[in-house]
Amino acid sequence: MSLAPVSPLPVGAPDTNRIALRDVRKTFQLKPGQSVTLDGRLSDRIPVLSGVDLDIRQGEFVTIVGPSGSGKSVLLDIIAGLTQATNGFAAIDGHKVSRPHRETAYVFQQYALFPWRTALQNIEYPLEVRGVGRAARRERAQHFLNLFGLKGFEDRYPSQLSGGMQQRVAIARALATDPQVLLMDEPFAALDAQTRDILQSELLRIWEQIRTTVVFVTHSIDEAIFLADRIVVMTARPAQVKETIAVDLPRPRDIEIRNSAAFNAYRARVWDALREEVSKAQRDWALASAYNA
Amino acid sequence: MTLATDNSTDIPPRVWWSRPASLPAPSSVRHAISAIGLGLPALLVLALLWELAPRLGWINAIFFPPLSQVFSALGEMIGSGLLAQHIGISLQRAAIGFGLAVIVAIPLGLLMGRYTLFEKISDFLVQTLRNTSQFALLPVFILVLGIGEASKIAITFYAAVFFLLINTIVGVKSVDPLHIKAARSMGTSDWDLFAKVILPSAVPSIVAGARLGVKSSLFSVIAAEMLAAQSGIGYLIQNSSLMLETDRMYAGILTLTFIGFLLNYGLVAFEARATRWRASEDKGAV
Ligand SMILES: Nc1ncnc2c1ncn2[C@@H]1O[C@H](COP(=O)(O)OP(=O)(O)OP(=O)(O)O)[C@@H](O)[C@H]1O
Ligand SMILES: [Mg+2]
Repeated sequence: MSLAPVSPLPVGAPDTNRIALRDVRKTFQLKPGQSVTLDGRLSDRIPVLSGVDLDIRQGEFVTIVGPSGSGKSVLLDIIAGLTQATNGFAAIDGHKVSRPHRETAYVFQQYALFPWRTALQNIEYPLEVRGVGRAARRERAQHFLNLFGLKGFEDRYPSQLSGGMQQRVAIARALATDPQVLLMDEPFAALDAQTRDILQSELLRIWEQIRTTVVFVTHSIDEAIFLADRIVVMTARPAQVKETIAVDLPRPRDIEIRNSAAFNAYRARVWDALREEVSKAQRDWALASAYNA
Repeated sequence: MTLATDNSTDIPPRVWWSRPASLPAPSSVRHAISAIGLGLPALLVLALLWELAPRLGWINAIFFPPLSQVFSALGEMIGSGLLAQHIGISLQRAAIGFGLAVIVAIPLGLLMGRYTLFEKISDFLVQTLRNTSQFALLPVFILVLGIGEASKIAITFYAAVFFLLINTIVGVKSVDPLHIKAARSMGTSDWDLFAKVILPSAVPSIVAGARLGVKSSLFSVIAAEMLAAQSGIGYLIQNSSLMLETDRMYAGILTLTFIGFLLNYGLVAFEARATRWRASEDKGAV
């Protein structure tokens, strides 16, 4: 897979618009012999996204919340160019995404570090495949390693690092190429509460400096509010954007902000938007238990 | 957050000769000492029996010369350079055959493991060949390649190639799909995906196959030399036996045992080094 030489395409959005999603639909075809019950009918196709429209500004920090199974990961995969939309498209800087984009980086819940590479070598990886020279990439990787407070852990293998440290390495790896777009899929979900708080603050501290565009999926409403300029609430599957909520909290933010009245109000608002979708998704799961593999 | 600990010293103890010397592990030193201490008496008893039984006439000294006589034959062959010469020839044959097996099996295994169609085409053929003994094929190799070096190299190649091939395929199939996804998201080319992701993930499995393959190659070359050769340690043993020079025969056998020990030690050390990134609990047993 080589990096996409992007084809220009008029998206018709203002030039401060970094990511544009236009009527993004995705339907999965199940494997032969598999089927699923949808609305009382047996089917071998699962509609996951049913027309997602969204514009994300340059330098914006957007968080996405939605019921489990609503297609948030699939949506990120489409923006990342790892999965093709069945219909509609995702565009970055006005160019349709059809393959992994040079300027996009992706962080996963399960870190996805290469276990045979040391912390430093993991951060070097994306620079290496871009053909950056040895000395230059080493220096750059070291810079990002230090940025995340991992000085002294250069030569540790992932199996010798705690979960929080592994995720720091994974984020450092993602940022090492100066991406225009940073996609994060529940990056802190596997961490304990304290580590999670620390990493949220660390991420914001670094983001304040680089101001890259971030799309961050989470199940934690608090996390969604604390990090975001704007929260996107997805409907149950097949998903659309249900509502977007601008978060007008001052930056830089301190973790204490979660105790403020304003924060509480956002909490109520997000939960209101989400409640109905979550119960819809739960009914959907009840049907999905009729999943005939 | 808990501070990461260095797990590298927590490898479960193994028998002393299989433990790589490069890893400092006090517990294993103690273990090694106790393994030698406990194991040595049995070995000494056997050696003593070997020395005394022929001398006391319990067994025929022609078939079983005393150990001291075997050692003096060994010393003689070392001194004259005869032993080194034959060992050199055997190891060279095994190394060439094994090297060719590596060159063929790893790329082929990468393709077969990665591309289902490729595997479907070749799987049946591989299974058939794999279940044909290299010894059964020796006459074929000799017919086709002649009695010289080529047929010996062919048998060592054949002896190793399937261990390597199967383990490469298994290694490739066990690649974590998330690693592939992550690599692709970072713009990894197809070539780099093989070289920097799939191959390193498969290394533990490949190295395990290589260990089996090296041993198999060496055993096969010995057997082939016994059956049809004018040189090599297998020939030396077989020829000494035919000449009733049993002290030389046993000297050859002991040499092989010694080489086997060294080889295993080296391979285990190599494997430990190639897979040192793994969490210690994942480390396979010997
Ligand atoms: N390759 C695939 N083939 C078939 N169905 C798929 C595939 N990938 C995802 N799905 C289905 O698409 C739906 C959405 O999956 P997705 O992983 O995007 O959900 P999600 O919103 O990220 O959920 P979670 O919050 O639990 O991570 C699920 O019902 C899932 O079963
Ligand atoms: Mg998900």
